Amino acid sequence: VERTILRPSTNLMQLVYGNSASKSTTSINEVQGNTEDEESEDEDFFKPKGEGKKKLGDGLDGGNFNADDCSKFTNHANLRNWKSEELIQSIRDRFITGDWSKAARRGQVSGADNE
Amino acid sequence: MGKTTYMRLKGSQNLRQRLLLSTLSSTPIIIEDIRPDDTWPGVRPHEVSLLRLIEKICDDCVVEINETGTKLKYKPGIVMGGRQLVHDCGVSRSIGYFLEPLIVLGLFGKKPLSIRLKGITNDSKDPCIDTFRSTTLPMLKRFGVPPEGLELKIESRGAPPHGGGEVVLSIPILQNSLTAVTWIDEGMVKRIRGVTFSTRVSVQFENTMLHAARGIFNRLLPDVHIFTDHRAGPQAGKSPGYGISLVAETTSGCFISADTAVSYARGEEEGEIEDEKEELMPPEDIGEQIASVLLGEIEQGGVVDSTHQGLLFLLCALCPQDVSKVRVGKLSPYGIETLRHIRDFLGVKFVIKPDPSTETVILKCVGCGLKNLSRKIS
Repeated sequence: VERTILRPSTNLMQLVYGNSASKSTTSINEVQGNTEDEESEDEDFFKPKGEGKKKLGDGLDGGNFNADDCSKFTNHANLRNWKSEELIQSIRDRFITGDWSKAARRGQVSGADNE
Repeated sequence: MGKTTYMRLKGSQNLRQRLLLSTLSSTPIIIEDIRPDDTWPGVRPHEVSLLRLIEKICDDCVVEINETGTKLKYKPGIVMGGRQLVHDCGVSRSIGYFLEPLIVLGLFGKKPLSIRLKGITNDSKDPCIDTFRSTTLPMLKRFGVPPEGLELKIESRGAPPHGGGEVVLSIPILQNSLTAVTWIDEGMVKRIRGVTFSTRVSVQFENTMLHAARGIFNRLLPDVHIFTDHRAGPQAGKSPGYGISLVAETTSGCFISADTAVSYARGEEEGEIEDEKEELMPPEDIGEQIASVLLGEIEQGGVVDSTHQGLLFLLCALCPQDVSKVRVGKLSPYGIETLRHIRDFLGVKFVIKPDPSTETVILKCVGCGLKNLSRKIS
């Protein structure tokens, strides 16, 4: 899910570092989250355990301060069927069995773009 | 002694990076609100174990945890390294969890590090030990880490829930600093290698996984070789399990990896002891799944896979004050968190630009110029 958000990539700098100069660790989200927690403390006390898991998706925005510390990011649910001929063709040129000139261009063009 | 100023942080997220960056940048930290609302609040066993590990290889570092475990105070010391150390990683996270920060920390030590780590070698949550060997260590060499003395030996394997694996990690120290890289050419995949493992189950599981994985690659590449590593007796640890780690090697020397392992769940996690013998994913599906994950990573592009983005950014930021330039596929959540922490601790901000023609992302930064200071203090 997170990856699709990134796709438009209009401004990746903003996405990563945020708009203001404030540190991600002291963002506004956090302050809000805290006061809410304190107000509704009684309800939280009986919070079903499963709810913690739902929050995981918020990790990207720094909304979940106790997100799992894990570098692996594999979404097994979204796996595509790599047995289909179409998909195979779509990445053929990323292999030495594919079109070498296309692969070479991939490295160059973009390199020039950024100079 | 003057008063120490602490950087204040919240929550248990990214604890490993925080401790690592805190140590490297000599920034004392206080972390509050560590899982305050959980049924079991506070730090987890693996987090305590990680702190003990850091204490083991550092001098003069101070760790204080409050009674409930929800507040942690960490004052970094000097990374000493040392030989023939031993650490029990426990079984709440696999050895991979500990290795990720340790391989960077070790580089900035006074003496080379060699340590025996005990626990779980392969699980689905953290990168497997095989992936460290095939992908992570070669990545360090790109940044000028001397290949001599960089080694990871698997003495025995251990699957969850009871572990029983043992590995020996050797990390050389940097004589001065890392070397900045320009690393944007992904190249083409020229071969796929891999290794399957099985502990306390039939070796047939491995053959099935291997054939299923090969089947996916067949139409793309002839040069696919997957080794098997069947363990029995004391070398097989205490729990049954099997898994696979694959790596695609490109013409420009990039390594793209994918791995997983299956075994019975850790019982203590949810307190469900009754239906312990749930069905495991069949080896055939595992093989196909990980082969598909690998192709997904290749399709996404970039010089590293999504798991290694964090380490890549970290190494770039720790370089001397030269420009590093790297290409990744879509930014992973962990990669993004890493970028934020690098800015907070090291003051290094990356220039991040999408590359629309290939749907990848180019990142550029000037390193913070970290030198191996521990070495010189002697």
